[in-house]
Amino acid sequence: MERSTTVISVLVSKEQAEARKSEGENCNSLDLNMVSRFDQQKTKHQLFHVSLSLATILLCMAYMQYRRNWAHLGSFWDSLVVPIVFLGELLKVVLARFYGRVEDGVLSLKQRQKKSSYFTPKEILGGITLQFLCTLLYAFICIILGAPVLGNYEQTFVLALLMTLLTVSPTVFLLGGGGALQVCFCEKPDFVTKCEDTALNLFKYNALGGILGAWAGSVVAPLDWGRDWQAYPIPNVIGALLGSALGNIYACTHVLYATAKVYMTKKRS
Amino acid sequence: MEQHKSRLGYTLGMLSLFLCGAVFFLIGFFPASYSVAEDDSSVPGGRPTSLHGVKLEPPPPSYDSFILFLIDALRDDFPNATSMPISHSTACEKLSLHVDIPTVTMPRLKSLTTGTLSNFIDIALNIGHTEQLEDSLLHRLKKQKRVVSFAGDHTWVKLFPSEFTRHAANNDSFFVNDFYEGDKSVSKVLDSELQQEDWFLLVLHYLGLDHIGHVEGNTSPRVQLKLREMDEAVQKILEHKKSSNYLLMLSGDHGMADGGGHGGNTPEETLVPLYLYSRNCSKTTAGSKRYNQIDFTPTLSVLMSVEIPTPSIGCLIPEMLQSMSLEHQMYAYFYNAHHLLNKARVKFGHDQVRRSDYYTWYQNATLLHKKLLQPLREGGSGASNVHYQNAKLNYMRVAREISSLLSESLVKFDYGFIVLGLTLTTVTSLHIVISVLYLDLTQQLQLDSLKAGQLLISLAMGILLNLTCHGLDLILISSTWHSILLTIPITLSVYLTFDVAQALLKIALPPIYTRRLKLSIPLPLPLLACFAIRTLTLGSSSFIEQEYKTWYYLGNSLILLTAFRTLRRRITKANVELDGRHLYTVASTCLWQLRKVFVMLMLLTLMRYLHRLQAIRSTITIFSLLLLWARLHHHNQLLQSVASGAALFLVYCFRGLNGQVQFFELAPYLISRIMVPTLVMFWCCLALVLVLGYLAALPQTKSFGDLPPRQVLLQLLQTNLTCSLLLSALLQKVQNIILLPVLLVALQQSYKLCDVFATSARKFSVRLVHVYKIILTIFLARMFYFYQGNSNSLSTIDLTPGYIGQTSYNPVIVGFFVTLNTYSAEIHAFLYLMVHTLRADLRNVGIMQLQPPYSIAADSLIVPLYAALIMLPASFYLCLMVGFRYHLFIYSVFSPKVLYDCYTVLVFYLVFLVTSLYFKLFKNDA
Repeated sequence: MERSTTVISVLVSKEQAEARKSEGENCNSLDLNMVSRFDQQKTKHQLFHVSLSLATILLCMAYMQYRRNWAHLGSFWDSLVVPIVFLGELLKVVLARFYGRVEDGVLSLKQRQKKSSYFTPKEILGGITLQFLCTLLYAFICIILGAPVLGNYEQTFVLALLMTLLTVSPTVFLLGGGGALQVCFCEKPDFVTKCEDTALNLFKYNALGGILGAWAGSVVAPLDWGRDWQAYPIPNVIGALLGSALGNIYACTHVLYATAKVYMTKKRS
Repeated sequence: MEQHKSRLGYTLGMLSLFLCGAVFFLIGFFPASYSVAEDDSSVPGGRPTSLHGVKLEPPPPSYDSFILFLIDALRDDFPNATSMPISHSTACEKLSLHVDIPTVTMPRLKSLTTGTLSNFIDIALNIGHTEQLEDSLLHRLKKQKRVVSFAGDHTWVKLFPSEFTRHAANNDSFFVNDFYEGDKSVSKVLDSELQQEDWFLLVLHYLGLDHIGHVEGNTSPRVQLKLREMDEAVQKILEHKKSSNYLLMLSGDHGMADGGGHGGNTPEETLVPLYLYSRNCSKTTAGSKRYNQIDFTPTLSVLMSVEIPTPSIGCLIPEMLQSMSLEHQMYAYFYNAHHLLNKARVKFGHDQVRRSDYYTWYQNATLLHKKLLQPLREGGSGASNVHYQNAKLNYMRVAREISSLLSESLVKFDYGFIVLGLTLTTVTSLHIVISVLYLDLTQQLQLDSLKAGQLLISLAMGILLNLTCHGLDLILISSTWHSILLTIPITLSVYLTFDVAQALLKIALPPIYTRRLKLSIPLPLPLLACFAIRTLTLGSSSFIEQEYKTWYYLGNSLILLTAFRTLRRRITKANVELDGRHLYTVASTCLWQLRKVFVMLMLLTLMRYLHRLQAIRSTITIFSLLLLWARLHHHNQLLQSVASGAALFLVYCFRGLNGQVQFFELAPYLISRIMVPTLVMFWCCLALVLVLGYLAALPQTKSFGDLPPRQVLLQLLQTNLTCSLLLSALLQKVQNIILLPVLLVALQQSYKLCDVFATSARKFSVRLVHVYKIILTIFLARMFYFYQGNSNSLSTIDLTPGYIGQTSYNPVIVGFFVTLNTYSAEIHAFLYLMVHTLRADLRNVGIMQLQPPYSIAADSLIVPLYAALIMLPASFYLCLMVGFRYHLFIYSVFSPKVLYDCYTVLVFYLVFLVTSLYFKLFKNDA
């Protein structure tokens, strides 16, 4: 665990350093070539977003390392993982709002309508219902995939909650319940602003990584090592966290690659 | 239309070759007998008569008579103060013996009498033929003209047809429904033998306990009754023999797993008690010491004053030698160490032995021994106890060291056969995989047709290879005729290797074609990933032990994934027109439409807890029989339904008469009288269903034209499926009957799901549907196979269904019934897939009749793909086995799995053979 934490922290610091470097370079060269398709705001948003999620996961890891007791991971009141992830997701939404501020002037009618209806009771209620249903669905999936049917309800609930937080919640926080459904099932809903689109794209990686990680976490269950962390929700929780971290890193490499490409072309020109 | 060509013949050929290769592999991996490879005759026999020039006298027998009281499947915790009070309280020594795998009777008897480890493949030979042994304790006794009497298990007589002076064997040691009769006759023999008193060794082998375990499990109340019965027999011997100088040994040949079977390597199966009784003994030891079962033979030889059998590699059990004088004990230790040292010399060579540690220990021990001899003979007063202990410890150390060295070196592989088998299996599975993946290009790749030129070249190479192998002694075969026959598989494997190599080359570097060769079959990533995971987990022993977890997890994941993707596609599709309005309604409607899939998933989860539903099994049985009948009713005519309903009712009656479900209270004599007519009536109903189905399918030849041939074929296959389901309902355990209808429901729902999934895609592809259906069928079949209680350990094979309605042991019927019961999920899933494919009509899911017709793919695509997906993991596993051949768990975990795998392919082959026969006969392409 310690090793993975350090590896991740090294990765994060490296990436942040790189990002800072490239951003600095970009700032210097921006006035040279104003007509670039490279979107500085978007890149900043993306990198902050990714580092935020990585920081969240790092925090979870640090917390787990601090407690050194695996049994509490599955209990609802004792595990800080769920609140930490919740706060992280909220911060991400705030970040998206912050970067979305500049676009406020150029919104279309639909987008403005959507924005104004964000805090209406109907939307809030819809969002909460949607998240609740998703938690139920995840719990159902957990049981279908082998969680004990009679017992371990608390653990299953924590895992389902974590999965909801990693996958559905960010989108719901950003767009409200109806908006999240539309994003999920429509080709390209026209109320999504550019900035929200950036965030949604990153949420996608986060969610995919989380699901795959939790799914793959079960691989240690049948092994005969007899460790205490092989008990039911622990590998899945950790798998979900690590999976979303990997998803974020993958998303990050995309951004960095794009940044590096722009930087190279600029340097050449 | 090349792509619709039937590939039945081709698949059949490939499967046959694969099985042939698997057989070669098994022969090579488990050489049938160690003694062939090892030259035993060069081990000097006879007892040593001198030690460093001092003359030694072999001691006389320590007891006047010996009784070996074997209780089949007596595990270590069975005899205790409550279950066998007399045996437990009067025992002089309580030891436990560790037996080797395989824990089945015949190999264990071999170990008991010869003192050597047995071959793993003996487990298969346990049921079939039994070769006679060359040398054993009983052979040595016969040489001394001692009277040996025997009563009990028939296996002994097969192993030693002429070594017993008198024998009274049970007629049928495999008829597991016999709990009491066999044991009664053994006890009768015991009575008469106790009167006669002329024997030197009396062997009693009681089978009742094992049979109770097989039929009712280890927690059955009858186990305690049986143990009490055994206790009484022991008591009888003890009372009768009070005055004479005797040794009674109570032991088991192997243990009993939790659940009642045996054959695996859990501690419950590998630990058996050894209780010793003699006239005047001091009961001292409290804790039970553990020895190996092979140690029993040399110890008994020494006690009986016969030569240790040549193959023996055991040590001595000091607790059994207590009654001997010190001098004789020393001689015994010396003799066994000497025997083992001789064996080591033959095995490893003189030089290596002389350089080893144990040789020095042996030298030390003999010197001390010699020093001790003089005072011992003079009266024992001057003998130094320190010297004695020192010599004894050294001797035992030598014996233990050599014994473990020899047990390790007994592992032998016949690499010639392994390579041949591996090549055949790998090449055939690759061949069929390539040929299926490039279905439309087989002409280009030239995989289907037999090429004479290539065959000739292969033949030449095969002969050459065969000669070289024989020249280099890579392949050892005793008969020339067999060596010549061996050319055929070698030739074929060379031929197929050429084919595969050519095809791979063409795929890798397309020579003149402008485009690369394209796969003819879509390979969806999730399916591929699940299949790859399932194959790769074969490399880990814990994943093999708990293989059911892999299947449950992957199977449910696949269904869930498909369901969610379908859901998303449908909602998206509905949304395009509505443009985002009423999204909640649309989503909930689509979710509601998939409700059956979720119900199916819940059912699949519930099936995991089947063993907990014992308490309400009557209700469950009625419910599941009704459900099965409703399923069968769907595609049968009225009369057939009535007959199958009657058959299912009779199944319930049969179970009720057996006392497994609630039924009318009847007098026992009435029950035994009604039982047989019930079964006869069941068979009549089954026959009626079969005949009615065939009659409907094959009307008079005049009106044959009315029914299209495909309909005839479908009707016949359906009838077969119905009959096999009915028969399985009779054979399955009571709480497992529910698996049959649930399997049908699950398959039908998942097929529907596949159809919907494919039709909701942007571009419809028939082959995608087929691939999904096949993979889901394989996964569901495996899941139900494990729901039933099967595992990769040989102890979970349920033998009871083999004896339903049988009064004696008939290997063919028992084998057929047990196979049908064990593999019922796989057999029925495959049959159902064929029936479904023939019946399938996509019009009900909104696709008009396609060209080519959807159902024509049954023999051109589905069968070869299914076969390929069965063969590929199996051949991969065989390759893994070679890599793991020195693994610690090779015989306990990996080897049973290899037997299971090969047998699975064999079962599939047989089912496939029957099905393809129907295809050939009744599919006259119009």
